[in-house]
Amino acid sequence: MKARFQIAQPWLSTLARLFLAAVFIWAGWPKFLDSEGTVRSVRAFELLPEALVRPFAYGLPLIELALALVLVLGLATRIAALVTGAMMITFMFGIAWAWAHGLKIECGCFGNTGATVVDAVPGYIKDLFRDTGYLLAAAFLAYWPHSRVSVDGLLGLSTPQPVTSGTA
Amino acid sequence: MVNARQAKSAREKAAEMRAEAARQEARRRAIAIVSAVVAVIVVAVGAGIIIQTARHNQQTKVQAATAPPQHLTNGGFFVGKKESKVTIEIWEDFQCPACKNFEELNADQLTKWEADGTVKVEYHPVAILDRMSTTNYSTRALNAAAAVINTTPDSFLKFHTLLFANQPPENGDGLPDSQLIDYAVQAGVKRADVESAITGQKYIGWATKVTEDFSKVKHFTGTPTLVINGTVLSDYAPDKLKAAVEAAAKK
Repeated sequence: MKARFQIAQPWLSTLARLFLAAVFIWAGWPKFLDSEGTVRSVRAFELLPEALVRPFAYGLPLIELALALVLVLGLATRIAALVTGAMMITFMFGIAWAWAHGLKIECGCFGNTGATVVDAVPGYIKDLFRDTGYLLAAAFLAYWPHSRVSVDGLLGLSTPQPVTSGTA
Repeated sequence: MVNARQAKSAREKAAEMRAEAARQEARRRAIAIVSAVVAVIVVAVGAGIIIQTARHNQQTKVQAATAPPQHLTNGGFFVGKKESKVTIEIWEDFQCPACKNFEELNADQLTKWEADGTVKVEYHPVAILDRMSTTNYSTRALNAAAAVINTTPDSFLKFHTLLFANQPPENGDGLPDSQLIDYAVQAGVKRADVESAITGQKYIGWATKVTEDFSKVKHFTGTPTLVINGTVLSDYAPDKLKAAVEAAAKK
């Protein structure tokens, strides 16, 4: 069982990389294209002071796309995975905040539809579950960053990990 | 014997030191590469933020320089009798399917209320859904509405109804400007009055400004947004709307 996992793990890590990269492209690209819409989405959380709304809304999609790039390349994989996990925790905090404050918004995680939300709670629950899934993928990758087809591998920055220790 | 053992141990030690040096070298390289990647990303993101902020500031300057259309009350288009006790403010986007739905459900009722003096309405068209077409239809439709309001205010409601009835599908190309002009003409506007304002996007500055102002109001997050005598009504089903209007009229 252990031996089998040892063979599968680098491939699973590659899968996790590509999956998270796809999520970030899917999330970042619409936000980047509709930057004013992203500004409005960020503002709707009522979490940031107005002076920080624009820098955050402009920067977030760029960070998401940059992370997608390094994840596809498999560059600095462990750090990318840790940053991804930290972002997921931040997003989940934002959604929980909106829920706790009774805001009726869409998270705008993948761009907004702009529709007035009558009951936002089912959306919040769904978003939190989804982000938990992404967080687990990021945690897996942070724990086992050694993966197939990666720049880390080419540069010799990554070595196979014994299953028991999990350290690079 | 002793010498041979010492020599072997010295060789082992040297090999160990070489391996340790190689490990340290690999570590240094890893840190250098990761730092370079992080630095490039930080610079790129920072530059992106600065460029987009500069572009936004430039647009704000253009906005300040363009005049809003005439015939607006409180920034909205007023319909009804001044003495009506109930005011409904409606924020709508011409690309928004929920707004089309709202109009289909409630437009007749609103017209009745406006006529009998129960309700006065302030229409606030905004453009939050440029993402939903390849041609920024949201903003172009809002610009066209401004052109109609400015020249032929009596035609606005009809134009507004035509646009919702003929709303283009989401993620399509929107309606072309020529079609917007045709609908304006159909609503009773003289073609020459609005043609250049529609094709030339004369009110685009105003359109971005009202949309930005809309999003800055607390708890205004989507369209349609209905405010009845100052209170947001999020469920606009006809019976809910009727109940809210009756409650507001009694106060």
